Amino acid sequence: MPTLAASNRPEDLAASLSEVVGVENGAALLKTLREVKNQIIGNKTKKLQYLHLGAVPKIVSVLASASSGTADGGDSVIIVQAAAALGSFACGVEDGARAVVEAGAVPHLVRLLSHPNGKVIDAGARSLRMIFQSKLAPKYDMLPEENMRFLLSLLNSENENATELAVRIIAHSCDKREEQNALCDARVLQRLLHLLEGSLSQRDASLASIVAIVKNNSEVARTFASIDNGKSLGALTELIHDRYPRTRYLACMCLIAIGEVSSFAHDLQTKTNLILVLAKLLEDSSEVGDDSPFALLDMIADKEELQVQIVAINVVEKFCNYLEKGSIPPRRLQGILLALAELCSKSEICRGQLISPQFLNVIVDALQHENAGVRIAACTCLKNISRSVKNLCAGRFSNESFIVPLVKLLNDPSTSVQDATLGAICNVSIDFTSKKAAIVKCGGLPLLVQISKSIDPSLRLKSVCALRNLMFIADGTLKEYIISELTISELTCLICDSEHLIQEQALALVSNFINGSIDLIELVFAEDGLIINAVMRQLRSNFATQVSIQGMFLLCNIAAGDESHKEAVLSYLIPLKSDEYAHLLIRFMQSKDKLLRTATVWCILNLTDPAGANSSDRVRRLQDGGIISQIKTMVNDPWLDCKFRVRKVLEQCMIPQSMRM
Amino acid sequence: MSPLDILLNSLLTLQAFAGTQNVSSLQKDEAWRVNVRIQGCDLDNGYLCGTMEALNVPLADTPVVTFWEGEFIDVRNYTFYTGKWEATPDDDIRHWSKFPSFSPLLSQVEADGGKSLDLSSYPFVFMRWKEQYFVNVGIDCGLTIAGFYYVCFSCSDGSITGFYYDPNSSPFQKLELKTTNERLAGFTFSSYQLQ
Repeated sequence: MPTLAASNRPEDLAASLSEVVGVENGAALLKTLREVKNQIIGNKTKKLQYLHLGAVPKIVSVLASASSGTADGGDSVIIVQAAAALGSFACGVEDGARAVVEAGAVPHLVRLLSHPNGKVIDAGARSLRMIFQSKLAPKYDMLPEENMRFLLSLLNSENENATELAVRIIAHSCDKREEQNALCDARVLQRLLHLLEGSLSQRDASLASIVAIVKNNSEVARTFASIDNGKSLGALTELIHDRYPRTRYLACMCLIAIGEVSSFAHDLQTKTNLILVLAKLLEDSSEVGDDSPFALLDMIADKEELQVQIVAINVVEKFCNYLEKGSIPPRRLQGILLALAELCSKSEICRGQLISPQFLNVIVDALQHENAGVRIAACTCLKNISRSVKNLCAGRFSNESFIVPLVKLLNDPSTSVQDATLGAICNVSIDFTSKKAAIVKCGGLPLLVQISKSIDPSLRLKSVCALRNLMFIADGTLKEYIISELTISELTCLICDSEHLIQEQALALVSNFINGSIDLIELVFAEDGLIINAVMRQLRSNFATQVSIQGMFLLCNIAAGDESHKEAVLSYLIPLKSDEYAHLLIRFMQSKDKLLRTATVWCILNLTDPAGANSSDRVRRLQDGGIISQIKTMVNDPWLDCKFRVRKVLEQCMIPQSMRM
Repeated sequence: MSPLDILLNSLLTLQAFAGTQNVSSLQKDEAWRVNVRIQGCDLDNGYLCGTMEALNVPLADTPVVTFWEGEFIDVRNYTFYTGKWEATPDDDIRHWSKFPSFSPLLSQVEADGGKSLDLSSYPFVFMRWKEQYFVNVGIDCGLTIAGFYYVCFSCSDGSITGFYYDPNSSPFQKLELKTTNERLAGFTFSSYQLQ
């Protein structure tokens, strides 16, 4: 009599996993498990399908049930199939690894490693090995003696899967100094070095473990470097030229980690070789190609000597050529742009190499990329290229082709993108040619003003800095336009912001505004002196030195105006009925901060300018307020700049009234 | 503390200087009016840069603006000996000696290039300025920027004196600059901040 053929549909198989649990259904269960396993091996779509059908927790239940069933370790065949299926789910699919870990599979699989049946041990080790390839695997606490003993037993096991599992556990879990030292004391490094001669998979896992054990630990790095009289380093140096890209990459990572904390692998030639290998790996189509620019970035961060070397060996040119080919995976593009940004952070030569129209086109595209990480990297790169005063002076950053997308990014939904954008805009706003129209013409000004009211302090700070830079040596029309958008009341709010850094930028913005024009000085007295009153409040109550310095430079600029401006500044600093502010001036001149002393003396220098009609009266009031006496004590100020200004002030004060204008 | 810090913190902050350059040491009336603006400074690397505007240049319809890069003679990054731009040690000594403030240093400079000098409390700062490109005109404007300036800055009065050196131009063209207060009755400050 014919029977219905068994269904192989995932829905049916997943459903039957619950139904067939139990020893009495052993054969059917085994068949189902085997079918599921066979379907998902190497098939991401199927894995995801089974994940949605809730197959993983069911298989974990099967494993738990089967492995705890009897004294002899349960049904070995079912255990092997369940373990293999779980390992496969975790392999190469993060959602799968997450599901396996969350379903509590790991403790059951670990128990299998003590199973009497060798095939079960092997299946358990193989499955765990796959799970521990994922970042989502749980950390293994190797410090308790028992756990360390178990880990070492795996590492020294004859079973290759068990050994590799131990290596992967170390690579994944070792991140504390105590763990690094304990593994080093247990001679794990020697074992890992030996495993470098094993299979490809073992070799790569061992390299990753060596990185984890030596990272930021100079003692351990030194121990590693001295194994077999330095043969360990020789082995790694050979592996950076291995035929497999991942091995090359991991060997580089080992040498970088060792070089970071010790004098080994620290010479320029070794580092140059590493740079060249990593730069070449960029062209690899696998994940290694995505990771290599980040490895390079870590290697060169804040290391000027290496950055100079990279420029010298034409790596920047290689990066640019590669970028100009287009169609680059987002993570790789992000990594390259960040590495280039780091190179441009200090090197003017590198900035010069990236100022080409071809590369700027790459930046323009990256600014409009759908991936936020790429957009941030493009802004960071542009920010660092535009640190070049030489190119700013040549007006190279007034090009609307990238100002337009940059301004658009001020509206980006991601705050991090906005933040990075503002960094770039701050720099490109400094246009020494006085043609600041580009950012303004592209609609940037209202957006900057809007962001200056943001609740995010970093956005607020950078937008005010951008406005300050836009104001720097701008023409009168642009200055007035900026103030009309910003408004005096908002500017006053920024001077009184809760953040000192923002207060400082706002004061510098006002200084830039009034610099060079008597008419513009009137702004600080407008609307019943909103700005000047805020400035004086800050000077009186603020103990942030940088704010006081900017405040005094602002008063100095006002005091460079006409007689009424000088009188106003003096009356604020030395009011007729109070000596409160006179004490303020004396406090500033007695400050330990040389710039604050100097800024204060510059301001007094302008107030005592003998060309002014009321200058002798102002000198008298300064004398009465005890200011001149204080200045006399500063004739030998250790800060030469202050000393020279002090002498000039005293010279001006000595001019008899009859000789003043 | 060093004079270079002084430059940065006061007169570099003031930024604007104005004066003249005598194109010929014989004919004073040939002097060009010159405005100089310091645009950037990197003391660690002994670097500064700025723009120079020549106002009444013959053959030019408009003022000619050039961008220049400078070297501080800080004895660490740069010494008194130029070693490039076609300047021999003799040329260097001849030009530096034009500054009265250089004479106390001469013997030491001749002995070791000035490497053992402590310039940290010296009230003058020596520099070289080399024009790099024309900002507002083409290279076919009939002017040359092949040479460079030996420059001395006085910390006490903020004046700048320079001598242009170009083997193919009139020798010892003198640059004299003072800080400008523009249209104001006092010194003013403006500043930018790079991120």
